[in-house]
Amino acid sequence: MKHWKTLLASVIVASIGGVSIATAQDAETAAPPLTDFPRNETLIINNPEQPATNPPMFNMWVAGNGAAWSNGLHQLALDTLWFIDPDAGIDGALYNQLASEPWQYNEDFTEMTVHLREGILWSDGEEFTADDVVYTVETQIANPGMVWSAPFTEHVESVEAVDDYTVRFQLKQPNSRFHALFSVRWNGAWIMPEHVFSQVEDVMAYDFNPPVSLGPYTLNSFDPNGAWYIWEKREDWDKTAMAQWGEPAPKYVIYRSIPSTDNRLIEMVNGNLDMIHDLTPEGMFSLVEQCDTCRGWFPGFPYAHPDPTLPMVIFNTQNEMFQDKRVRWALALMLDARQISMASYRGAATLSAIAIPPTGTHPQDYHAPMQDWLIDYELDLGNGNTIKPYDPTIGVQIADMVRPQFGDDVPTDEEAIRTAFGYGWWKQDLEAATALLEAVGFTKQGNQWMQPNGEPFAFTLSTFTEGVINRMGTMIAQQWSQAGVQVTAEADPQIYPQTLPLGNFEAATAWSIETWGGDPDLSFFLDSWHSDYVVEPGERQPARNWQRWEHPELDRIIEEVRQTEFTDPHNLELGQEFVKLMVDEMPVIPVMAFNVFSAYDTRYWTGFPTAEEDPYANIVTNWANSKYILTQLEPAQ
Amino acid sequence: MFSIFRDLVRYNIEFAIGVVLVGSITLFSLLSFFSPVDPTMIYVAIPDRPPSFEHLFGTNSRGQDLFWQLTFAFRNTLYFGLTVAVLSRIISITVGLAAGYLGGWVDRVLMFFNDIFVAIPIFPILILFYFVMRSNLDMFTLALIMACFGWPFDARLIRSVALGLRNREFTRQAVFAGMSPLKIMREEHLPYVMPIIFSTAMANMIWSIGLEVTLAVLGFTNINIPTVGTALYWANSHSALVVGVWWWILIPVILIVLTFLGLFLLAISLNEYIDPRSRLRRMGV
Amino acid sequence: MRGYLRFALKRLLQLLAVVFAGISAAFFISHLSPISPVESIIGRVSGQSSYSPQAIQSLRDTLTELFGLSVPLHEQYFNFLGRFVRGDLGPSLIAFPTPAMQLVMLALPWTVGLMVVQIVIAWLVGNILGGLAGYYQNSRFLKAFGIVAIGIQPIPYYIVAFLMVIVFGFLWPVLPISGGFAMNVRPSFTPEFILSVLGHSILPASSLVIVGLGTWFLGMRALVSNIVTEDYVTYAELAGVRQQRIVFGYVIRNAMVPQLTALAMTLGAIFSGTIITEQVFAYPGLGSLLVRAVNGGDSAVVLAVSCIAIIAVATAIFLIDMIHPLLDPRVRAE
Repeated sequence: MKHWKTLLASVIVASIGGVSIATAQDAETAAPPLTDFPRNETLIINNPEQPATNPPMFNMWVAGNGAAWSNGLHQLALDTLWFIDPDAGIDGALYNQLASEPWQYNEDFTEMTVHLREGILWSDGEEFTADDVVYTVETQIANPGMVWSAPFTEHVESVEAVDDYTVRFQLKQPNSRFHALFSVRWNGAWIMPEHVFSQVEDVMAYDFNPPVSLGPYTLNSFDPNGAWYIWEKREDWDKTAMAQWGEPAPKYVIYRSIPSTDNRLIEMVNGNLDMIHDLTPEGMFSLVEQCDTCRGWFPGFPYAHPDPTLPMVIFNTQNEMFQDKRVRWALALMLDARQISMASYRGAATLSAIAIPPTGTHPQDYHAPMQDWLIDYELDLGNGNTIKPYDPTIGVQIADMVRPQFGDDVPTDEEAIRTAFGYGWWKQDLEAATALLEAVGFTKQGNQWMQPNGEPFAFTLSTFTEGVINRMGTMIAQQWSQAGVQVTAEADPQIYPQTLPLGNFEAATAWSIETWGGDPDLSFFLDSWHSDYVVEPGERQPARNWQRWEHPELDRIIEEVRQTEFTDPHNLELGQEFVKLMVDEMPVIPVMAFNVFSAYDTRYWTGFPTAEEDPYANIVTNWANSKYILTQLEPAQ
Repeated sequence: MFSIFRDLVRYNIEFAIGVVLVGSITLFSLLSFFSPVDPTMIYVAIPDRPPSFEHLFGTNSRGQDLFWQLTFAFRNTLYFGLTVAVLSRIISITVGLAAGYLGGWVDRVLMFFNDIFVAIPIFPILILFYFVMRSNLDMFTLALIMACFGWPFDARLIRSVALGLRNREFTRQAVFAGMSPLKIMREEHLPYVMPIIFSTAMANMIWSIGLEVTLAVLGFTNINIPTVGTALYWANSHSALVVGVWWWILIPVILIVLTFLGLFLLAISLNEYIDPRSRLRRMGV
Repeated sequence: MRGYLRFALKRLLQLLAVVFAGISAAFFISHLSPISPVESIIGRVSGQSSYSPQAIQSLRDTLTELFGLSVPLHEQYFNFLGRFVRGDLGPSLIAFPTPAMQLVMLALPWTVGLMVVQIVIAWLVGNILGGLAGYYQNSRFLKAFGIVAIGIQPIPYYIVAFLMVIVFGFLWPVLPISGGFAMNVRPSFTPEFILSVLGHSILPASSLVIVGLGTWFLGMRALVSNIVTEDYVTYAELAGVRQQRIVFGYVIRNAMVPQLTALAMTLGAIFSGTIITEQVFAYPGLGSLLVRAVNGGDSAVVLAVSCIAIIAVATAIFLIDMIHPLLDPRVRAE
């Protein structure tokens, strides 16, 4: 029996050993007093990122150092000049954050002047001034490994602090959208604390731990393994730019990484999570069933928040197969949007036939006004016939399809259906697709289309490894295969880091269109679509023109946008011209909004934004813009 | 041969159950050749239906009939497990017998490589292979890679048995009779290690199928190929258990348990047949 | 004794050779990866705003130079060996310039703690029950346990772990289902922290014990059923030796050698982490780090983990070979 005792003792030693090593690694961050986080003072938010790779790293200005971004750092501690809301905003979509008013350009857009708020304090008591802005720009230009270095280097001739609260940028070439770099849509160029970084020997290696905050919260503590970050409201929160929208209610905000979506659901049902970044569609349906106080963006079906991002089929237009727009159109007409919506989102998709996400303020600016143009749109099939491919009733049809399962949760009002399910899509028309392909010289052998060069028309569709985009890609590949084009869906874990930029694909389901959401201006993605940025096959394509598509008309629109003030209504006309060009050419097949199944629980906090009454902010928690929600919350009891 | 089989079925209930179980699962997976549906197609049936007469095993959230889907999954998974087992057995027998019988520098060199294969962590390598091959990674290639890592433990085991056999009388006689080392290993030593081979084969199958499931659940296999692993991958990415589509998980798990239960019963009843001592013991004699 | 020393020296040389060859293989395999850490970072950074092709090229040059990837592969290999000898595994490429070892050391204690505890528990319980089941072959309880063990063994581990989350986190929410310890305690030598760590490890550890137990149980049962037919056991029984003494003193003791060998191997092999456990229970550990490193093309971290794993396993084999002759007098040192 002696052996067993020895073994037992060694087990205990080993387990204590494990614990003690875990402890030792954190010994240098002197343990703060044990604090409890009373539930009625604490907001617990799900951070969709994996637990941080490099937990004690907060210097997110350096590329590739493993600093987490959406762990509360860019939501609560960092700040910059403006925010543009993807939804309506508390008081309009444009927030003058550290800037006291919107940007001012000179006549030819070669100079931008910014007036800053006075009396804003960093969390260490130092005042935020123009010097911080100047330092941010100059430091990043000096260090090519920093995140915003390249755009600053490309656009900024010089930057100066005119006085403590005025900054003036001299630009290298006219640019009416330079302010966009400092305007947060998800993320933006955050201001660095000059008084901290200028004392550091190597800004590239500096960990910025604990971060000196410009937002209303400071770091309380964090998991040494990066699974959670706890932020605490500053005593002097009223000395931050957030204060003008109200006092953030929670004393503590916890950002938790929970990789498994099922665990997120369980934690919310158990009351350990107030906001979930995203769930599977099925998980969302199950959550609202099991938790009376939980809901999504919409009160009923389809629940999800439509992000201003447009999942689509992207053709690699440098590939010979996809160079003729009639082929691209034929492929679009082979698709049945209803089935795609059912397969990907169980019907909870917001469809868009045009190259603008049907979200935020875009439906009022684009989808509604262009509806008649789309209904009347004629497509020449090349055999003497024309068709009107647009079907404005598709949303209603999908609503009818899901009603048996979800009953009264599905809207019946036509306007509400359009908001939730989209304004319409192309009608599946295999005959028209046949006519178009035959006009290009394709022939059909049995049920297999052959290219003019005699090769079978077959390709691979790269898609995500999971989630709704994967399901969408699988369904699209299946529909094409049934129509006689042999398409295989390939789940690709590297689709964004490598496949799309390097052009290692034939077609893909992903997105190359992301917009502000709360503003009709399209420059956020469109500027990078200029033909100057299109590279040769084999080289790395800059974000976001993954389709590598060039068109003189496109260049004209982009160049005109560059010379039009951001707030000029002419932008909307240019945007609509862009939409029409995209319909004519079909370089990508827009499908639907990227609907994120974000959820929140009103058990401990109320005042969250809602789709139906007060869509004042995006509930998708990894957006830096989501921070405004904190100012509108109230404890439930 | 057939009479042995008949006697075993008649007098050994464990053997009979094992035959029925393994036979049924094999038959089930062979049904895939007569499947009326294409397993790669989604949304061809009404999703989320519990088991019924129309859909024996129900349908999953991808709109597929689970019965036919699982016939393909089990065909692929069993084919995969068997391939790994057979290939890795071949390597481990060759290495183990050669190292044990020949000894000397052959033994040292073989065990050197053996130890390297034991020591190199397989998991990152499998993920790397996935990234290199992506959708070209079919079940046979995956089986080949895993077979490369599935032999060293068992080779060590076989070697230790072969070491003992080397000094036995019959080996010496065989050497004196002029038998070549190859022939000695094949005809004299191989029968002795056969029981080890059968018992390790099952452990090896559990190992390889378990690893395939792990990779699939994480999305590091070709998820277009239906296997037990990818079935669980899709169930997981549709939150099947939380939502209550329990049959999507439960049925494949029951089937895989039955498969291995059957294999296990076959293995022990065959062992008993080979070794009568344990049979007597079991009867309480 | 001199023979044993010579044997030990020979084995030690072989150990070093295995480690060297294994690490070299790991180096070249990890550099086969089609994922470039440089391109991954460019992807993340340039997604934030409009980058011109020229700006991308200059960022690529900067990063390639920084990461030491601008020299040919064989030169990188010799650089790596040079650093490795000095105990430096270089900077991580997904958290540059943080040393790869620093990231590994963050995750390592969790993996070691969880795995050692669960393996030892499973080993002890499995072997005791297995030994008893092998000896008392007519016990109904042990027979039933054997059937359960055989039934659980082929169930994919993911299912077992996830069912535990559902049962103890959802249907009957009594145990924590994510994280290594509670958010309101600080890592320190306090009872609160240690209890929190233990509480959070109950589900992950027991899920691993459940799937690990069966293998030890079945292995031990088979070994013991072979031993009990040996003559010396029969003689002991006939001679009226107390049954407890026969079971523990003769039978289990003799069956122990292969099981101890297997225990050493299992303990040596824990350094790839248990990726599924970590994913399901959001538990910190090496597995997730490894997957993240492979995903980000971080050959430095992949290599750091691989080196630890290779050294641990090779050392375990070495120790087994060294101890074996001492434990079992029947095995003579060659």
